[in-house]
Amino acid sequence: MPVADGSIEIGGGASRRPRPSGGLALGRLFPRASRAGLKTAHFKQPWLAAGLLTPQLLILVFFFFIPSYKALSLAFVQVDPFGGIQIFVGLDNFLALFASADYRDSAVFTLWFSVVQNVLTLGLAGLFAFATDYVIRGRGLYRSIILMPYAIAPVISGVIWAFLFNPAVGPIAEMLQAIGIPWDPNRRPFDAQLLVIIASVWKHVCYDYIFLVAALLAVPASLLEAATLDGAGHIRRFFAISVPLITPTIFFLIVMNFVYGLFETFGVIDAMTRGGPAGATNSLVYKVYQDGFVQLDLGSSAAQSVVLMIVAVVFTVLQFRALERKVNYGV
Amino acid sequence: MTGNKRGHGAVIGRLLAGAAVAALVLQAGTALAQERTKIEWWHALGGRLAEIVDKLIVDFNASQDKYELVGINKGNYEETMAAMVAAYRVGQQPTLVQAAERGFLTMLNSGAVVPVPELMQNQGYDIKWDDFVAPVAGFFLVDGKPAAMPFNSSTPIFWYNADHFKAAGFDKPGETWQEIDTQLRAIKEKGVSDCSMVLANDFFWSMLENYAAIQDQPWGTKANGFGGLDTEFVFNQSPMVVGQLERLQSWMNDGVLQLAGQGLAPDQLFTSGQCSTFVASTAAHAGVESTAKFNWSATFLPHEEGVEPKNSTIGGGALWVMKGETDAEYAGAAAFLDFVASPTTQAWWSKETGYVPVTMTAYEAIKADGYYDEHPTREIAILQLSRGTPTDNSRGFRFGNHNQSMQLLVKEVQSVWTGEKTAQQALDAAVEQGNQILRQYEKLHAGG
Repeated sequence: MPVADGSIEIGGGASRRPRPSGGLALGRLFPRASRAGLKTAHFKQPWLAAGLLTPQLLILVFFFFIPSYKALSLAFVQVDPFGGIQIFVGLDNFLALFASADYRDSAVFTLWFSVVQNVLTLGLAGLFAFATDYVIRGRGLYRSIILMPYAIAPVISGVIWAFLFNPAVGPIAEMLQAIGIPWDPNRRPFDAQLLVIIASVWKHVCYDYIFLVAALLAVPASLLEAATLDGAGHIRRFFAISVPLITPTIFFLIVMNFVYGLFETFGVIDAMTRGGPAGATNSLVYKVYQDGFVQLDLGSSAAQSVVLMIVAVVFTVLQFRALERKVNYGV
Repeated sequence: MTGNKRGHGAVIGRLLAGAAVAALVLQAGTALAQERTKIEWWHALGGRLAEIVDKLIVDFNASQDKYELVGINKGNYEETMAAMVAAYRVGQQPTLVQAAERGFLTMLNSGAVVPVPELMQNQGYDIKWDDFVAPVAGFFLVDGKPAAMPFNSSTPIFWYNADHFKAAGFDKPGETWQEIDTQLRAIKEKGVSDCSMVLANDFFWSMLENYAAIQDQPWGTKANGFGGLDTEFVFNQSPMVVGQLERLQSWMNDGVLQLAGQGLAPDQLFTSGQCSTFVASTAAHAGVESTAKFNWSATFLPHEEGVEPKNSTIGGGALWVMKGETDAEYAGAAAFLDFVASPTTQAWWSKETGYVPVTMTAYEAIKADGYYDEHPTREIAILQLSRGTPTDNSRGFRFGNHNQSMQLLVKEVQSVWTGEKTAQQALDAAVEQGNQILRQYEKLHAGG
């Protein structure tokens, strides 16, 4: 589990440079990062290296390259769902996609959903992580409660949220209506979008929390003590010392949150809104599923997943480029 | 209807015994069970209906010792169809699949099915294909034979809470939409119920498509698709259909009509006594009879004032046989279809679920029993289906990839609920997108 790996490494001791898994991911993309300290291993027997690489390569072949090839080949055809008839249509699927207002709406929603989700998740996780140091009694309980959502399957949490906020029977919806808010995610698109955001953030806060707590533990106590002597308060110390020192982790989490928002909120959306009302919560990934597996329009669905793949790659590279300069890996 | 290769005489009597026998077979006779050929059947029935399907399967398995039918629920009709298509592409399809009337043309032209008459003939069963009741025959028969075995046929009816109507000062629901409008508003105003009507999940079928049929309004050109693949949707051009959606919109805005939303079945809001009415399939009988704790009843769907109502259209599923299975599996599938088609099973199935009997023999048998005198709401569906002479607008719908255009219609209608679009704008958009799907389908199937 990446979570455990990350925290162990970060908490590994003062003699080692704290380096979150974000640094590892970067090492693969940017050689400079490896010069900054990643160890290089040399294998004398090539079969050992090959043997160690094979499992990962096999996984990549079966879960990335073959599906990507399939998606690419389907993106340029129109196909009978049963696979009997296939007509090559060139770029028609893509042109239809970019001309579609639905697709634009879906892209716009996905974008602002990802941004808001990212900010909220990181903000809340940061707050909880900051507070952890100041929770003296029941710190274990405090952590367990925050970590709990991660253990619940997205679909189950979606169903629970959908029930709590159901305008006809949900207790929270009743409370909202009692104080005069006409809450109704079935008819008010914004309510539905809010609901999806709340559930996604709730589900993902714990992930960010674990990483942030671990990163904060690695901030040298001497620096914090020095700042205390200089008269800096809790909040000042947090923002002036801790935050700059854990920027690699924050950067890593921003990337992970975007990936989560883009790709992994599927279960939550499916259980709570099914992309509705009127497509208000139809994120790009959910649309791929809807068009491909419900509507059986495999050509368009494949075209969408190709677009999504390109967007994800471009987006990640841009993020690395833009944020890398502000991130200090040298501490 | 059926050659009755095996005796099904004791089917009903053995219902409970069947369960016990199956349990015994599982426990004591694993060796015996292994010798049986397994036949997979994917179906789309949930809730109370799933329990009845399970009984049907247990009973079939107990009626013979060669085959073991395994029924798997794959969600609703659309989900089952999608799962089947995905499975078919990788050669993992079940032998039998239940597909809704909406998927009829898609399945028929799929090239992935074995026509049921061909299968039955090859397996030595003699089935009379002219025994189907008229509405079933009118929809499912192509050149006098069905490509699939009609199984669970239904039509929407108007369900109501008789206690609520009484409390609001009405004997029963009115016959026209105008009267219903007055009554639903009165139920709300008099404080009898906060929810005069709950919108069924398949409202597009029960409240719009069937509305068009009953009012004799065209949904598409070319006799709603019966006349060829070059059909086009035109339901946005009917002032009546637009008016119906406007009526639903005004009900919703005034709090008369409610949506159940995700995670909650509209049926539950009716059977719990919270909502006074809902328009849904006659198959809701299974659930309503077993859960509603109030005086419920049902009646014919309303019609517009001054309109002579036509028949409603058939809904529900048929059993399709997939290509690419072994001979032994086909033999088992045929045995099951023969079992399903027997008048005894038909009558039992119809009584348990509320689906209409699909054969005349079964219908006559149920009628002769006096069952409909005791349960008058059970006969509404078949009477409504056979009312008058079907027109091009009321025979049913035969559109390619109709699941797709239906989902788009639902999405557009949701934008009426949210207030983003007017009824006319939404239907215009649904027609435009729906026609793209029809053209795409026509393009793919132009050769066949």
